[in-house]
Amino acid sequence: MKKLALVAALVAVAIAVPLSIGSSHREAPLSSIDPTGDDTDLYAFTAEDAPGALTIVSNWVPFEDPAGGPNFYKFDDNAYYYLNIDNTGDGVADIKYLFDFDSKVRNPNSFLYGLGKPIDSINSPNLNQVQTYTLTREELSNGNVTGSKVLARNVPTPPSNVGPKTIPDYDKVQAQAVKSLPGGAKVFAGQRDDPFYASLGRIFDTINLTGAGLGNKGGGVDDLAGYAVHSTVLQLPESEVTVDGNSVGSDKSKNAVVGVWSSTERQTIDVNGNGSGAYSQISRLGNPLVNEVIIPLGQKDKFNRTTPDQDVTNYGKYVLQPELAAVLNILFDVGAPEKNRTDIVQAVLQGIPGLNAFPGKAGKNATDTLKINLGVPPSSNPDRLGVLAKDNAGYPNGRRLTDDVVDIDLQVVAGALVNNKVPLGDGVDQNDVEFLDAFPYVAAPKQGANPDAAYGSQIKALASAGSDQLPAFSASSSGDSGSSEEDDGGTSAIVWILIAVGALVAVGVAYRAGRGSGGATS
Amino acid sequence: MTLTRDRLPFKLAAALLAFAAVFFSLRALDDSGTGLPLAAAAPTAIAPDATTDERIAALRAQIDQTPSDPEGYVSLGGAYLTKVGETADSGYYQDAEDAFRQALRVDPDNFDATTEMGKLALARHDFRGGLRYGERARQINPSIASNYGVLTDANVELGRYAQAERTLQTWVNLKPGLAPYARVSYFRELHGDLPGALAAMKLAASAGSSSKDFSYVQTLVGKLHFDSGRYAAAERAYRSAQGATAGGYPGALAGLGAVEAARGNYAAALGHYRAAEQALPVADYPLAIGEIRELQGRQAAAGRSYARTEVLIRREIPNGVDVRAELALFRAEHGDPDRAVALARATLPVRPSVTTADSLAWSLHKAGNQPAALRWSQQAMRLGSRDPHYLYRAGMISLAAGDGDRAERLLSTLESQSPRFNPLYAPQAREALAQLR
Repeated sequence: MKKLALVAALVAVAIAVPLSIGSSHREAPLSSIDPTGDDTDLYAFTAEDAPGALTIVSNWVPFEDPAGGPNFYKFDDNAYYYLNIDNTGDGVADIKYLFDFDSKVRNPNSFLYGLGKPIDSINSPNLNQVQTYTLTREELSNGNVTGSKVLARNVPTPPSNVGPKTIPDYDKVQAQAVKSLPGGAKVFAGQRDDPFYASLGRIFDTINLTGAGLGNKGGGVDDLAGYAVHSTVLQLPESEVTVDGNSVGSDKSKNAVVGVWSSTERQTIDVNGNGSGAYSQISRLGNPLVNEVIIPLGQKDKFNRTTPDQDVTNYGKYVLQPELAAVLNILFDVGAPEKNRTDIVQAVLQGIPGLNAFPGKAGKNATDTLKINLGVPPSSNPDRLGVLAKDNAGYPNGRRLTDDVVDIDLQVVAGALVNNKVPLGDGVDQNDVEFLDAFPYVAAPKQGANPDAAYGSQIKALASAGSDQLPAFSASSSGDSGSSEEDDGGTSAIVWILIAVGALVAVGVAYRAGRGSGGATS
Repeated sequence: MTLTRDRLPFKLAAALLAFAAVFFSLRALDDSGTGLPLAAAAPTAIAPDATTDERIAALRAQIDQTPSDPEGYVSLGGAYLTKVGETADSGYYQDAEDAFRQALRVDPDNFDATTEMGKLALARHDFRGGLRYGERARQINPSIASNYGVLTDANVELGRYAQAERTLQTWVNLKPGLAPYARVSYFRELHGDLPGALAAMKLAASAGSSSKDFSYVQTLVGKLHFDSGRYAAAERAYRSAQGATAGGYPGALAGLGAVEAARGNYAAALGHYRAAEQALPVADYPLAIGEIRELQGRQAAAGRSYARTEVLIRREIPNGVDVRAELALFRAEHGDPDRAVALARATLPVRPSVTTADSLAWSLHKAGNQPAALRWSQQAMRLGSRDPHYLYRAGMISLAAGDGDRAERLLSTLESQSPRFNPLYAPQAREALAQLR
């Protein structure tokens, strides 16, 4: 959800005037758009095919156009990418997994992805640009690292899916990037299809308010369709993450709940060049709602610098009185409670008692971590509305790739947990691409050489076409529960693009208004 | 802050209503099954990869619907600033200013409009204005990192290097990333620390993934290699900068031109510079073309390139950009040195930096006032610059003013560090050094 910020930020891109004559004044970018430091989404779940393990997916670098070559997207070699685990409930990391990347260009005089011949394996000498990583597990006590162990070195990330001429069998090559670790863990890092789905415009779709009951009418458009992100995926046996180092017996076990968040760090450096500085946190992400909707204008930089244990002091008041509730009332008169929203504090920051709240006193701590009860067995028939639809294996008990967090969050803010059920939704109920049944679960990125790979390319194609050549608009059905994909099939591509585009503006605007252009300048 | 927060629900509501209007109109067409002309929908559309013109049109349409939302104006102003970067047409600065002022009329304490006004002032080389808006924005919200960039740039250009260092360090500590790394690099470069500058600029490039911002900082990586005499490394950096932006990157093309010129491949150099100028009409490119033509003895052609250079510098003036320091340096070489001196002197109060000191020193040198030139040259070099052009000018001034020791020191540094920094001036520097030895 953090990528909404980018949509907004793109509205005001940095000035990039060339070096001007004889002048040392450099109008270097002043923008805060920082894709390689932007954690976009975090997922934590128990996979159906790996019931004894915690699976974490964390994404960075939003809005990658698969056709974005020839330099292609990557992680920042000089940043630290962390997945953090709190198993005591105090909002302080007890275990951290560090991804530290390193890029090589085999032939620095060529900027092609391949060196003339097809790439048939991840270690192919024909692959010119390679990014590898070292994975380190850190144990902490009171926030201080007490032990550190390198789990894997020089693990290759798969190449971007640049096209069939360069990589004829991409599926095979990308599968070689899955690395098994001693003890049964698995790891993957690299480009993936963005699993987040939302109709950025229809998040506030008033039409759907006329329906009754939970759920909406579908017909929205996944505005993230076609874009890729850079994912890190970890599957960890429960015993590696629990407070007592044991597997979880049942959902009632004392060690069943862990809190997860991602964070990114970059090095601070001394301006006058003496010595290198410490690494400093520039972003973090736990629950999909908090940074976007709850943290207000002007607080975002601070939020990204601070840690979950400080959340209640710093931001508690914003959660108790979320502005979104007031806005929903102004707009739609949905009767959302506007004050003293302890239900939101509980759902998002404390965890639901008896489900994903930490046992005992720790269950009262309000920290923005994605809390999951590892004892809840995975659902064989997941409901996109998760706990709201009595499917306790989904958000906010962790977050699965299929969970519809936009709809859930809107309904929760409207008061779903305090008996004010309003069927808010954005009309998109699933990702445009199917997820995988097996690790790493997130789908491979779409192919770059295919001009239709990103809808951005389609918009460009449209822009170059004359409007009089466009086919007439064909009405789309909006049946009660039709999925967005089926609706898309019945509607001309142009129409859905137009709707998406129109919607994007408005939500970009709404979003900017909500956060100010904090997105652009913070 | 308080004001802004109190206004927030209203602003959100206004924006959402605007969205609802857009959506309803689309939806109504949907229900009736009528055709939907692209032209009607396009003005309200912003895709993540929309062109700047599309973005401007959409934002204007949105402002018509929500004229009391300050953020719409801020976004519009930002889009105009982007337009300047894309077209080198500084006429858009006025449009940007109008938009930001509208935002401040609606909401005088708007942080974004305030910091954007600061960026705009910097772009127009109004560094005192930039400092004022930056300070004001810091008062409104001291926790937002990027505004420290406005303060840093303003302080650097006002010659307030100690203050610049402090604000820059605050910025880096608050949120390290591409923009502050690039400023750290420049600060180190100004102080003559080219290896340190390169290290920081590489951090900036590494943070850039694949984007225009990457191309920008990677071009500067190339320049730092070039200035250090590493022409092959410079070429590699320029090539990757050129490749990372769809359609190429003019600054990187010009860098490749400089590399070819350093190798004596003047035809190839001219080709790169011409391509750069065609992509983006910036004064640096015809100037470089003129220098090569002058070197080749094609005086008439060189004169035409220099005339074009002056046109490109001067066309900024009506748009409120203070280019007197740049014009002084250009005219000292290719125009009337006395007028250059006057321009540089007039710039001093508004831009008391090493840049202006360098322009003034060179103007005085060309106008024949060597003692004054030497004094200002010492000012220009007070931070220890290792910029090849600074070294060259300071060396030549010292020679003319009779300070042979200084001249030999500066020109030897230049000779060992950056022997082919400019096809026209490098041979002159070498000749002067030979005289001295």
